[in-house]
Amino acid sequence: MSVLDYVWLGVGAVFQGPALFDLFGIAVSVTLVMVFCGLLTGIVVGATPGLAGPMAMAVSLPILISVFGYHQSALLPVMGFLIGVMKGATVGGAVPAILFNTPGTPDAYMTTLDGYPMTRKGLSGKALRVAYFSSVSGDTFSDLVLFTCAPFLAILVEAYLDFPEKTALIILSLSFIAAVVGKSVAKGLIGMALGMLAAYIGSGEDFYPRLTWGLESLAEGFSMSSVILGVLIIGEVFKSMEDLWLTRGSRKAVTIKPRDDNRLHWADVRMLLPYIRNSALIGTLIGALPGIGSTLAATLGYATGKKMHERRKSDDEPAFGEGAPQGIAATEAANSAVSGSNLIPVLSLGIPGNAAAVFLILAADSIGGFNPGPSVFKFTTASVNPELVIAFGLFTMMMFANILNWTIGGVFMRSMGVMARVPKHILMPIVLLLTLTAIYVEETKMAALLFTVGFGLLGYLFRRLEISPLPFVIAFILAGKLEETARQAFASTGGNIWFLFSSVTSTVFLLLSVLVVAAFTRSKKK
Amino acid sequence: MPKINFNADFIIGVGALVLGCLILFVWIPLDVETGLVEKVRSRIVIGDSLAPSLAASVLILGGVLLMFKSYRTSGRAELSWSSLKFIALILAAVGLSLAVMRWTGPISAHLLNADYRSLRDTVPWKYAGYFWGGLVMVFGLISIMEHRLRWRILFISILAVLILMLVYDLPFKNLLLPPNGDI
Repeated sequence: MSVLDYVWLGVGAVFQGPALFDLFGIAVSVTLVMVFCGLLTGIVVGATPGLAGPMAMAVSLPILISVFGYHQSALLPVMGFLIGVMKGATVGGAVPAILFNTPGTPDAYMTTLDGYPMTRKGLSGKALRVAYFSSVSGDTFSDLVLFTCAPFLAILVEAYLDFPEKTALIILSLSFIAAVVGKSVAKGLIGMALGMLAAYIGSGEDFYPRLTWGLESLAEGFSMSSVILGVLIIGEVFKSMEDLWLTRGSRKAVTIKPRDDNRLHWADVRMLLPYIRNSALIGTLIGALPGIGSTLAATLGYATGKKMHERRKSDDEPAFGEGAPQGIAATEAANSAVSGSNLIPVLSLGIPGNAAAVFLILAADSIGGFNPGPSVFKFTTASVNPELVIAFGLFTMMMFANILNWTIGGVFMRSMGVMARVPKHILMPIVLLLTLTAIYVEETKMAALLFTVGFGLLGYLFRRLEISPLPFVIAFILAGKLEETARQAFASTGGNIWFLFSSVTSTVFLLLSVLVVAAFTRSKKK
Repeated sequence: MPKINFNADFIIGVGALVLGCLILFVWIPLDVETGLVEKVRSRIVIGDSLAPSLAASVLILGGVLLMFKSYRTSGRAELSWSSLKFIALILAAVGLSLAVMRWTGPISAHLLNADYRSLRDTVPWKYAGYFWGGLVMVFGLISIMEHRLRWRILFISILAVLILMLVYDLPFKNLLLPPNGDI
């Protein structure tokens, strides 16, 4: 099996998988249909203020698993849908930001700064086209970086890192996420520690399930779905509901008649390209680091674009913040470029970097047969490595989603303005019931709903106390792997209690963990 | 010498410190059977206490760090009485709706001298708990946010719950709506 053979197997798994129907005599695989449906769902969700890609991923996952079952053949259709949602939501988030000054997703906030002024000038169509073109360009660029970097990084990790180094690498990743996410390193550490503790309840190697007080309902620990959906989705729903409770009313959208020429001309594209290029690079670099979200990428992309615009702009052109299309391009290219490269740490190291990646890991964990991490990229020659085929299948689906985005995404996106009129206070309780139902159909235990609401309360408190929920969730996912790798490292070094310092690499990783916490503690002064 | 500022961050820090100490010195020793390291068949292996102990230590570290950071800064994080009142209201509404979801079917069946377990896969029993529980949840929460009760919202809530029932139950015969899976 050569590398090319694996690539073809991955492409074949997507295009020649089980067919759903025939189109002009050509069998259309169910995976392609799922990517298509996911993309449209993602655009709708992204265009609806209050909803976000992870929410749609959360509630659709149990339904998808029910449809496709717990078998390796379910991986590509299920993950295809989730990837479609991830990409669609990135594009859709700009719609309400531009039309109604309401960001559909948090990272689209910067888009409002120039998008809404353009709408007020009657240039909403042009603003949407700029956002779409920049978003899809940034996303495609980021995917290409992912395809080339993830396998190499994984091969390097697998070739040079043994158990002690892998343990130290997980510690470094957790420290990095705790340090960089949110406004306070200390709060990041608290969130991370709580996530680890939640993961250790009911687990362990002893016959007695630890930290359960003998309670049978805790003996199997907390399910990943309850914890992740509780903290990420229900917590956000509770917080949004409180905001709506305080404001009572909903904002009335103002409709402004668009001007005649709202098209994106070749001259516009040429003008935007330098901004898109810079922001795509910024977004891709930031996305490759676990835990740093697309909001920071959008902010940095916007700031960089603003500097460039100040140097280049003529007197009659609007400045950033006054309806400059370059501002939309700089923001959208940056926040969309995060989505592809965010999967680099997931696929190469098994470390999720954002909420969307968390749901891809949750899907892989629920279905089985695919464990994101360095072992995925083992190019075995004697026999086929099925995980590697899945990985190339994922890359193929991402490219297919990009093609769909380039061809039909723009038209669909521009028709989604109506979604911003859906009242958020009606939507939120429905999302809550939908999420709880999704948990129940997977777990079939009322106790799971109580746990989910409990973790939702924790997620709400995190948000109110300015503790980012991401270190908690990522630590919950990685805690088991950290303990398992540490046990293996301890055993492989013959019970050496200093096993983490047994090599230069692991020692450097540990030193970096301390340094990153110390450095960010100093730099994040209020 | 600067005065200690008892802001929200300081209280979170103290909370994390106390919780970490309780976990490390009370919960783990009482509720984990093996120590930090164990001897198993002449081999030394990592025990079940080590990982949670490290996590508790990180919690303590985070708490102490936050306390020191809040020493000279004023935290902006806050949990107001209004927030506490709101979350108590929401939890009460969600708790009530889950209770309705769990008990509507069994209690109704009991009143009719029937066994819910044998009825739970038949119409209308299989929808009873989910419909009423879901309705209480959606209608209750929307009404809380609107600060009033409206017929229109009741109608929307009924419609939303019916749609969710159809989405989960009609296409998937193997899926069980709450609470039918564990009664």
